[in-house]
Amino acid sequence: MSQHRRQFRGGVEGSAIAAAAAVCSNDDETGAKIISKKIMNLLRELCEHIKGSGQDELRRSKDILKLHHKFASPNLYTPSPLVPSTVQYVAHAAQYISKSPNAFENLPVLSEQECLQKIMDTLNSKAHTQDAQKPGDLFYKVYKRLSDEQIDTRKRQNLLNFLLCIADGDSAPVLSSSRAPAGTCSVRGAVTEERPSTESLQKEFNTRYHSLSSCNVPGILVQTQLAKLALKSNGLNNNLILNANSNTSINTNNSQLSTFTTNGNMPPEINGKGPGGQIYSYDASQAGMGLSKQGVPNYMEVLKKQKDFEAEHDLAQNAVFAFIGIQGRYLKKDVISGRFKLNPLHQKALTASQSSMLLRLAELGYYYDRVVQFANTATGYNAMGCMGQSLISKLNDELTLFHGKVARLQDEMNQFRAVQMRDYISRDKTWLNRRRDDITLVRLMGWYGVHLKRMQWLSKIADACQMRKGGELASVVYDFLGHGGDEVDVVAVEVLAAICKPLVRMISNWMLEGNIDDTYGEFFVESLPEVGADRLWHDKFRLRHNMLPKFFSLDIADKILKTGKSINFLREICEMQELVKGREKLKEIMENNAADIFSYAQDTRWHAAMETCYQQTSKHVLDMMVGPHKLLDHLHGMRRYLLLGQGDFVGILIENMKEELEKKGSEIYSHDLSAMLDAALRCTNAQYDDPEVLNHLDIVVKTPYPGDCGWDVISLQYTVQGPLATMLEPTMSTYKILFKPLWRMKHMEFLLSMKIWKEQMGNAKALRSMKGEIAKASYGLHLFTSEIMHFVHQMQYYVLFEVIECNWVDLQKQMQKATALDDILDAHEKFLRTITVGCFIKTMTDMERNLEMVYGNIISLENWQSHFYEECFKELHAREVHAKRIADSERAGRFGVTAEQQMDRDQGYKNFQQKVNSACRNLETIASSYEKAVRGFLLALNSSNDPNLQLFGTRLDFNEYYKKRDTSLSVPLTFEHMRMSVASTTRGYKTLPPKSAQAQSETQSQSNKHLIVD
Amino acid sequence: MPSEIITLQLGQCGNQIGFEFWKRLCQEHGISPSGVLEDFATDTNDRKDVFFYQADDDHYIPRAVLLDLEPRVINTIMGSAYSKLYNPENVYLSKHGGGAGNNWASGYSQGDKLQEEIFDILDREADGSDSLEGFVLCHSIAGGTGSGMGSFIMERLADRYPKKLIQTYSVFPNQDEISDVVVQPYNSMLTLRRLTTAADSVVVLDNTALNRIAADRLHIPNPTFTQINTLVSTIMSVSTTTLRYPSYMNNNLIGLTAPLIPTPQLHFLMTGYTPLTGDPDINSHQHTVNVRKTTVLDVMRRLLQPKNMMVSTGLDKTNHHCYISILNIIQGEVDPTQVHKSLQRIRERKLAQFIPWGPTSIQVALSRSSPYIQSNSRVSGLMLANHTSICSLFERALNQYDKLRKRGAFLDQFRREDIFKDDLSELDESRDVVDCLVQEYEAATRMDYLQFTAKRHTKTYGAGDNKSEESKSTENLPV
Ligand SMILES: Nc1nc2c(ncn2[C@@H]2O[C@H](COP(=O)(O)OP(=O)(O)OP(=O)(O)O)[C@@H](O)[C@H]2O)c(=O)[nH]1
Ligand SMILES: [Mg+2]
Repeated sequence: MSQHRRQFRGGVEGSAIAAAAAVCSNDDETGAKIISKKIMNLLRELCEHIKGSGQDELRRSKDILKLHHKFASPNLYTPSPLVPSTVQYVAHAAQYISKSPNAFENLPVLSEQECLQKIMDTLNSKAHTQDAQKPGDLFYKVYKRLSDEQIDTRKRQNLLNFLLCIADGDSAPVLSSSRAPAGTCSVRGAVTEERPSTESLQKEFNTRYHSLSSCNVPGILVQTQLAKLALKSNGLNNNLILNANSNTSINTNNSQLSTFTTNGNMPPEINGKGPGGQIYSYDASQAGMGLSKQGVPNYMEVLKKQKDFEAEHDLAQNAVFAFIGIQGRYLKKDVISGRFKLNPLHQKALTASQSSMLLRLAELGYYYDRVVQFANTATGYNAMGCMGQSLISKLNDELTLFHGKVARLQDEMNQFRAVQMRDYISRDKTWLNRRRDDITLVRLMGWYGVHLKRMQWLSKIADACQMRKGGELASVVYDFLGHGGDEVDVVAVEVLAAICKPLVRMISNWMLEGNIDDTYGEFFVESLPEVGADRLWHDKFRLRHNMLPKFFSLDIADKILKTGKSINFLREICEMQELVKGREKLKEIMENNAADIFSYAQDTRWHAAMETCYQQTSKHVLDMMVGPHKLLDHLHGMRRYLLLGQGDFVGILIENMKEELEKKGSEIYSHDLSAMLDAALRCTNAQYDDPEVLNHLDIVVKTPYPGDCGWDVISLQYTVQGPLATMLEPTMSTYKILFKPLWRMKHMEFLLSMKIWKEQMGNAKALRSMKGEIAKASYGLHLFTSEIMHFVHQMQYYVLFEVIECNWVDLQKQMQKATALDDILDAHEKFLRTITVGCFIKTMTDMERNLEMVYGNIISLENWQSHFYEECFKELHAREVHAKRIADSERAGRFGVTAEQQMDRDQGYKNFQQKVNSACRNLETIASSYEKAVRGFLLALNSSNDPNLQLFGTRLDFNEYYKKRDTSLSVPLTFEHMRMSVASTTRGYKTLPPKSAQAQSETQSQSNKHLIVD
Repeated sequence: MPSEIITLQLGQCGNQIGFEFWKRLCQEHGISPSGVLEDFATDTNDRKDVFFYQADDDHYIPRAVLLDLEPRVINTIMGSAYSKLYNPENVYLSKHGGGAGNNWASGYSQGDKLQEEIFDILDREADGSDSLEGFVLCHSIAGGTGSGMGSFIMERLADRYPKKLIQTYSVFPNQDEISDVVVQPYNSMLTLRRLTTAADSVVVLDNTALNRIAADRLHIPNPTFTQINTLVSTIMSVSTTTLRYPSYMNNNLIGLTAPLIPTPQLHFLMTGYTPLTGDPDINSHQHTVNVRKTTVLDVMRRLLQPKNMMVSTGLDKTNHHCYISILNIIQGEVDPTQVHKSLQRIRERKLAQFIPWGPTSIQVALSRSSPYIQSNSRVSGLMLANHTSICSLFERALNQYDKLRKRGAFLDQFRREDIFKDDLSELDESRDVVDCLVQEYEAATRMDYLQFTAKRHTKTYGAGDNKSEESKSTENLPV
């Protein structure tokens, strides 16, 4: 055997030398440019593995190769002198392929994986048992290195096809098939002397290419292809090559080849276009199951040929047919279930055990059919999207492998039969001894188990994946993990790894480039096209939860989301083109470790890379915002100006604007105010603040409602642009909401201190002469004022210090230790939420309403006071005038004033007394309404569940003034009490919906205004 | 610049405590004795412009007016390292230089005569401010210049600037020592009247208490005025700290004062300070170590103890006096939640007695302090309190006055001045006002304070028409 083979190899080499010489003489230089030396060397190595497998004489050169691998870079590698011809042959073929990538265009081209598998199988099958490493595996290693090189996939595919040709050429007649003694060189032994060589070749190739999906293209001989190759690459020297090998057999061969190359002359069997449908043995009814397009027919065609033989009746053949979904004599498919059943016509010929074995074996066929169905996109039973596509191609790969296995089985069967036939003809009785080599049902039973399991699981997985896509698809497959035995795990892991390949690419593309390339909506991050750049950070991107694979925790998903979001933010909002460098490594890790992402332990290389990427990007954004964009300074600015943390500034601003603030809302113009704002900023400590922060501060006038005054319409606003706006925009409305009650509180303090109290102090001096007469009213006024003052100051202290300042201190701590921008933003949002509650906004209507009543009474008091003092000064003036008149007349020697004048004065005095009395009553009205409001507020605080509010309540009544006056405030707070007391305080205005509380207090203050002094 | 405060220093005492005050402010704001900003003073969180104005980029001048009728004290100041600090145009020395001779009437009359020159200075200062908030007067009530001229100026200021706050830091004489100034009770009474009617808020600094504290607490047997004035300057600087280091609240004088003063008359404030360390070199080292462990509660509790008060009110035998209002200014490392808890404790333990007629509580202002001064205590606190027992000071003054007045002693030097040319009604009216003040403070301890009306029981000493203010004001009305 080995002798023959050596001869044969010599043949190949001979022809190769010729071709190589020809090509070599032509354009060696240009070729080198097209294919890099490194790749060339790899190719050479691959070739050597094919050629040298199991060859003793090549051992040495292989050892040399190994040495070279170890000690020298591939570039320095010089081919072993023992195999120059092979090397050159490959070199030229490779050049040719790289120059004309379409060389195989019209030929049935196998996918790279298929080629690889076949080559490996071929090599391994030839392996000597003593080989430590199977030649196929060695080949695979080299191949791996090749695949690491940057070669066009199409080119690589072509190269592998080419290598497959060589590999097969080892056993099949390549270029010199007829010269080599037929049958002796064939491992698979399909060629017998009894059969015409064309038929054997044809069969050979049909077998080899049976699984091609484009079933209509007949298997064209590799020889043809190689011949063409040689011709094309060296057209001028065409004859020369052939002549170089000039002997008769080549000539015959040549003529033979030419028949093949002429498509029209092809035998109909090869052509496959001939009788068409007849070659498919299954029913038309099964077309619906998606088999009509499946690439099995060529193989069947071959099988069909054998029906002439007794093999037709071979049960084993039936079973093998069934494995790949083909019906036979004994096994037919059930039209409805698609399962194989015994053909009732021939059932009788079978024994019970044969029947049961056949049926069991046919089970594999059923699952095969299922997988075929799921792998065929035309059926509509598929998974969808890119990840679905990956599943389908994975299924197809599985099918191809399976086909290979079945083909091997078939070959074995054929070979056995051929030998049997020969022996039969030669009357050799020894065939009986070889009987056990035959493929029998029993042997098949041993063979099929593994494959059945695999097909079963594949079909189950694929079934579950129907109509699913993306993360959901991954989740479905993930569910198969860890359920059953190891087989499932192995299958599911393989499938999941295949499916996740597009996913990891999407993830890395998103995390590193910020791009979403997701036509099918499979990715668990989605970008909302309708959301503009201004909301990029908060709203533009979000998780698509139904697309989130189960194996990702929300935490991981969130990190992934944030990373890509950050990239987008940096690029689009911060306009940074130069993103984080040195990420190729991360990209490589993230894209090449698809199986890592669903690992149970989340400590894989992928997870580490993802985490690194997240942290790098987060840090980058954080540095950007805190550094150049001064986020913290702006937050501080907002706290100081919008939340009134800079007390002196607010005070001065109010002082500057006090006339405007009291004007009618419609008479206020914001441009006047801007100047006042600037002045306030200039003359307080704000002047030392970062001008960038100050530039963002603005004063705005909203459209007034009827009756609004300056206080109601003027507000401070912080305008942010660019990246800051993206970050802070969502919180701006909260600031607006918060500003209102704070501003109102300042308004009240201003009214109380700067107006009411100050006026009282001044007027007490001026009206000293009337002190006794107005004492009742003025003491009432003073004490009432001090009562309110206490309330407002405690309130301010609580809100500004305990609520805002304390939480701000907290926030600052959080900002110090933030590692990502969202840490800051989240803390900031939490801060705002907390203080919103603390500022009595939209939380407890009872408190809000009472508070508004309190404020309403302060405004009433201010009105009352100004009217009261007006009257007092009127009276004072009248007295002074009167006194002067008397003094003047006395000086003039006349007697006093006229009776009329005196009566006027008396009347005036009486009126004044009345006015003071009625003013007292009105003041009492305001005071009692105020007290009611305060009590209501206190009660609401006391009954609150929030301990802070309860404590605030006790602070407001620190000396138990209200508690002593209102027993309901001192009763321990049982639930019953709370219920009762709340009911009792609300009873008064029960009919009013909470909203109208302000309206009520307003009307009340209006009416108080009229009451004041009539 | 906004919310400015103009400080007036009158007489020996006024100028001496004023001197210490400005020395302290300069240290706190990193301003050199010549008024130039120190290189290390880079902190921009303080507000210097309330008390200083800027001559140029880094030159600060106090908004201070220095007045005296005798040159000694002012000359000392102008001979000190701080001579260049003040605006020389704001330093006014009477030309005849004889002082007021511890005579209120003399001071008052001289004030009247010099008012044009004095108000030239004051008006110029007021005009130089963006929005003047008020005047702070430093003086003693017992001498001649500070009390007499101070009284005159207060009255004029109240007329002239009715919208501006007038606050005083008034030094009350030491009761423990026998004063060689025999007319001190007259001077005090006459000044107290103006403090009641013309001032808006009076921070009472009682030399009696200050001396006792120095002796008992700081272990200085015979404290000098300088040592006493260090205490005073601490009080003055800390009580203005929220104005000078503004944060969320209490950033102007009115906002600070208004909650403390419920009715126009009850505006006499006591102060307390803890821990009392005084000058580090005066203190024993051990003592300093002791005060270091102070907590907010400790501080607040100590502030409520009479021994820490800068006013000696004597024993409240009937135990009826109470707080009308309290403001605690706390400085140092304070955990905000501690404040809250401390207040709760004080309330539970009823450590302070409050008025019954209205809601009140302990207000707390957490204030930053100067980064340039090393504080040797972790937490420190100043209390500004309106407490009814302050009236015991006035009662004491009334008693002493009555004793003297009954005898008609030492009145000649008063009669020489214009205001007493015709009669001594000014004295009796003043007594009335102070008496009413005492009555009002007493009334404020009761539930029915709202119904308060002062009872006039004007005593007539010798001849002269004494009319109550009421009868004066209503005399033209037919009854
Ligand atoms: N705490 C303190 N009290 C002082 C100081 N100087 C004087 N006194 C007190 O002030 C009172 C005397 O008033 P002075 O200020 O000396 O008098 P004056 O205002 O200068 O008036 P004449 O000297 O009469 O023009 C006494 O009761 C002293 O105890 C001081 O530096 N600190
Ligand atoms: Mg003097």
